[in-house]
Amino acid sequence: MQEIVMPRMNQDMALLCLLIPLLPFIGFLLNGLGNRKFSKGLVGFIGCSTVLVSFLISIYLFLDFKANGSQAYTVDYYNWISAGSLRIGFSFLIDQLTLLMLLMVTGIGFLIHLYSAGYMSHDEGIGKFFSFLNLFMFSMLLLVMGSNYVMMFVGWEGVGLCSYLLIGFWNKNTNYNNAAKKAFIMNRIGDLGFLLGIFLIFITFGSVSYPQVFAEASKLTGLDTPVMIGITMFLFIGAMGKSAQIPLFTWLPDAMAGPTPVSALIHAATMVTAGIYMVIRSNVLFILAPTTLEVIAIIGAATALLAATIGLVQNDIKKVLAYSTVSQLGYMFLALGVMAFSSSMFHVLMHAFFKALLFLGAGSVIHAMSNEQDMRRMGGLRKALPVTFITFLIGTLAISGIPPFAGFFSKDELLAHVFEHNKILWGVGVLASFMTAFYMFRALFLTFFGKFRGPEEQKHHLHESPAVMTVPLIVLAILSTIGGFLGIPEVFGAEHVLGDYLAPLYTYARSINPAAFETGAVSHELEFILMAVSVGVAVLAIIIAYFMYIKKEEVPAEENARLAPVHNLLYQKYYIDELYNSLIVRPVMWLSNAVHRLVDVIVVDGIVNGVGRMVILSGRTLRYAQSGAIGFYLLVMVCSIALILFLNFFIG
Amino acid sequence: MTSIILLSIFGIINLFVGFMKSKRILLPLSLLFLAVVFGANLFSWNEAQSYFNHMLTIDNYAVAFTGIMVLATLLLLPFSQHYIEEANENLAEFYSLLLFSLVGAIMMVSYENMLMLFIGIEILSIAMYVLAGSDKRRLRSNEAALKYFLMGAFFTGVLLFGIVLIYGATGSFYLTDIAATAAVNDGTVNAMFTLGLLLLVIGISFKISAAPFHFWAPDVYEGTPTLFTSYMSTVVKIAGVAAFYKLMAAAFAASYAAWFPTLIAITVLTLVVGNIGAVVQTNFKRMLAYSSVSHAGYLLMALVAFNERSDASILFYSLSYALATIVAFAVLQYVSEQRNGDETYAAFNGLGKTNPLLAFAMTVAMCSLSGIPLTAGFFGKLFVFTAVVQDARLMWLVVVAVLMAAVGIYYYFKVVIAMYMQPAADAAKIRIGSFASFMLIFITVFTILLGIAPALVSDLL
Amino acid sequence: MEPAVNQQYVPSDYLPILIQFLAALGFVVTTLIVTHLIGPKRKSAVKDAPWESGIESVGDARTPISYKYFMTAILFVLFDVEVIFMYPWAVNFRSFGLDGFLQMVLFMGLLLAGFFYVLKKGILKWD
Repeated sequence: MQEIVMPRMNQDMALLCLLIPLLPFIGFLLNGLGNRKFSKGLVGFIGCSTVLVSFLISIYLFLDFKANGSQAYTVDYYNWISAGSLRIGFSFLIDQLTLLMLLMVTGIGFLIHLYSAGYMSHDEGIGKFFSFLNLFMFSMLLLVMGSNYVMMFVGWEGVGLCSYLLIGFWNKNTNYNNAAKKAFIMNRIGDLGFLLGIFLIFITFGSVSYPQVFAEASKLTGLDTPVMIGITMFLFIGAMGKSAQIPLFTWLPDAMAGPTPVSALIHAATMVTAGIYMVIRSNVLFILAPTTLEVIAIIGAATALLAATIGLVQNDIKKVLAYSTVSQLGYMFLALGVMAFSSSMFHVLMHAFFKALLFLGAGSVIHAMSNEQDMRRMGGLRKALPVTFITFLIGTLAISGIPPFAGFFSKDELLAHVFEHNKILWGVGVLASFMTAFYMFRALFLTFFGKFRGPEEQKHHLHESPAVMTVPLIVLAILSTIGGFLGIPEVFGAEHVLGDYLAPLYTYARSINPAAFETGAVSHELEFILMAVSVGVAVLAIIIAYFMYIKKEEVPAEENARLAPVHNLLYQKYYIDELYNSLIVRPVMWLSNAVHRLVDVIVVDGIVNGVGRMVILSGRTLRYAQSGAIGFYLLVMVCSIALILFLNFFIG
Repeated sequence: MTSIILLSIFGIINLFVGFMKSKRILLPLSLLFLAVVFGANLFSWNEAQSYFNHMLTIDNYAVAFTGIMVLATLLLLPFSQHYIEEANENLAEFYSLLLFSLVGAIMMVSYENMLMLFIGIEILSIAMYVLAGSDKRRLRSNEAALKYFLMGAFFTGVLLFGIVLIYGATGSFYLTDIAATAAVNDGTVNAMFTLGLLLLVIGISFKISAAPFHFWAPDVYEGTPTLFTSYMSTVVKIAGVAAFYKLMAAAFAASYAAWFPTLIAITVLTLVVGNIGAVVQTNFKRMLAYSSVSHAGYLLMALVAFNERSDASILFYSLSYALATIVAFAVLQYVSEQRNGDETYAAFNGLGKTNPLLAFAMTVAMCSLSGIPLTAGFFGKLFVFTAVVQDARLMWLVVVAVLMAAVGIYYYFKVVIAMYMQPAADAAKIRIGSFASFMLIFITVFTILLGIAPALVSDLL
Repeated sequence: MEPAVNQQYVPSDYLPILIQFLAALGFVVTTLIVTHLIGPKRKSAVKDAPWESGIESVGDARTPISYKYFMTAILFVLFDVEVIFMYPWAVNFRSFGLDGFLQMVLFMGLLLAGFFYVLKKGILKWD
């Protein structure tokens, strides 16, 4: 039995730790209150600088942490919630996972803030935009820094709210508002699961603070007890909602209605990975419930494949990226399901680099195309947008898993773990990886190669984006190129920097289920073969895409053209939206309307008008009171009383 | 006890001050009175004392709820400015009736004897019947008063019948005697006792507008002048729930099995009817009426939980709910006045541009009502839910409640969308007094403060 | 007083109440039916007209009455009822002592304040 070591308190760091989330919050307040009075430059400066300082502090914390022997510590502020036996402190937990997430969120967050300053410069709502973006940073930082599940939940809700506000940012359009609403409601379903999970944790362990819960959990014996399955399934439902997994994934593609930097920051790089963060954070609990892990792996693989197939035929450049995000998130869950937590985290990081890059690249294209997002209207843009083209190409290579770009290492490591665990899931993963390479290069070829297919006057307006937008692209491109070296597989003789760094997180989990963490089951030859296979399918996909879209210059069919049945099914996203609509949305609206009709229309209007007519004869003045509605109300209430008494005396 | 006496005296003074030419003094004077009562009330903290042959006991429970109710009145009164501007001839009477009704409300949270409960409810209700009809020239207001009165009188009868049956079964009006009799008889004395208990539950359920006894609420809330609707849905409801809990805890704890099934059915029904009913409303005020029904449901959940966390969670929830509701009604009042009495969602279009303060306060209030974190409402719900899940068998109730809370977000955010995302139909800025603005800011900050540091209030009881 | 809760009632104990209830109801119903059956029925325009002590009826039966009438009436009831409290108090005046006297002074003071309020409000002015 592993000895239980509680993280020590470290109040010296109190101010610095607090500043990290507080600075974006101050930015939110300043921009939110003064957005009409500040100039656009000042708004951008406040938005970016607060996040930059948070990033610098995070770096300092990271280095300091390392210098002090990599011991996890907590920082307590005050007794946040105190209600009977429930005592929750407002405190941060600083450990390897938190620090990595901090660096990722603030680092990429800063780049995207910087990019937004250029991208949104023509928008009159830029103050509102930056204040929401800063509020998002604040919530996200709270989410990753909190030392207990309630703080995580607060951040979790906060990012959901900001996502909702930002999706509906261009709110003149009703469709966008509907997309925002859909995202919010789907997330709420997930949140419900998460909340119930927290309650179950509280009942089971008597606490919601991570160190206590995990220490208690590691004392449990026996895998797969019903209560652990319950807790982990509830938590996973929460993760499903936030990280867009089957069946709660349809909101993410619709969320592309928001401005592109939002898609990059929230719906690709940071918020959607919160579900994965949560699972890794709770690895001790998940290890105790192999059944849940099994479910996670299957759902992850299914999502990866399903989203990839839909991605094959989409024509909106952001939709392609959105489905690819869903698909990549599926990969991460697949890795979690096979207990490759570090690999999953590795992929989260790499994905954050290249997906943010791809989205910002797409944003740059859209900017140049005056808000046209349809790839059928693009083509040949590589001459007009050289920087965007090169960086987008790097991002595409990275996501397709071509060595030595970032995606290759993380995807390869991830698939190797899956192979070890389950060959079928590995097959699914490779298939999805093939499709990923295909649709990403399809997007690249359609956008940047061939002839320009847009309207003539647009052709003259094509321009490269300003430096404030290209610099983040370049930085992200560099990261996407070299980021993978953080986790070079052992076969190449280097040490796995990231894996070793994260190892202390699994101390408890390892003590419970040591078998899950044994590595090296895959022989070196096999590992090379696996690598070769995944690179091979990617290259094959690229070649096919090349032949289809460059050699044959194929252009996807127009909106009302007849499509082959399978193609149509994919293009319509398997009709899942329609299915949800008829299975869930319509019945709910019908029920609500029925209640409305019953009470308000039939009763009030019907009786007021019907019986009212009789009453009018006897006296117009008392019409309202004697309308009969009151009689009906009393009748229903008296019947209810009778029913209550009847049930109590004769049934109960 | 001092608060009861002071409020009665101040009410009478108010009536006579009303004879003065200028009505301007009335509002500051009433606020001063309430502030004095609020302060005087605090002196009874930790100094429990009984009065009138133990018919009233001012203990910490009473002090805490009195404090919240006085505070709520204090906070909503500044929004009565337009009555002053119109020089309403009955202004003094309105304020006095509010003060008198508070006396009833305080009795409802400090009674030890069911007669006191009944008198408290009646003092409170009769004042409300009058205030509901205080807009004499509007037909809707008259309708509201008459409906409220007719149905209220009916359920007063039910309540009284319940009290009488309990008296018949146990021979006493005192909560402690009833509890003692029930305890030696396994909680179920005889059929008369059970019948009386159920009728009591039904009677109080009506007062707090719990389904299926909520039918009066939408019509009455809609017709009543907004200021008094605000009072009705905060103070009256809080007093009702606090009285309910006290009754159950002090007299019928042993009879838990006899009332629990009924109460849980009422709770679930209230949650569902309140939230589903609110979804389709187009009138904001009517939506708030349904929303207040749904909040009665959340408050009843704490009662269903019936453990040592119930009273504190009711207290916290009441406070968070009162703060948000006052803002919602206050903003509604300003907006509908500007838009010629329009109380639909459409009236709020573009408010974010014309009146950022009103819109922001409203947004925070809506977040709090729907239970978004970093507002008081989130912890209100969290505390209620944690109180319920102490009994793991009630997990399903929490599931229902959370689902319904998700539905709630849908209709609360409709108004936020209207404020920030719709173009303004009428671009004129709404004029609000500086004191009212200050109050709005104060309540908003307080709501957020409780969302950051709920421990300020959550551990009082 | 010791509450009489231990006594066990059986349903048949309520039988006398039921019989009385039925008898009362039965009497009313029977009388109504019988008079209806055996009474003579003659119909004509004169017979169906409302009888107003021989004076020809004109206008609507529902004439509005000034609210002042109700105000005065309700005030009368209010103050009339309060006076009832004075009888038992007067009977026990000696045993209450000074306390009782002061309490009644307070009570009457409040009542007088109310009366003064009513006067000032002009509710008793009739025109």
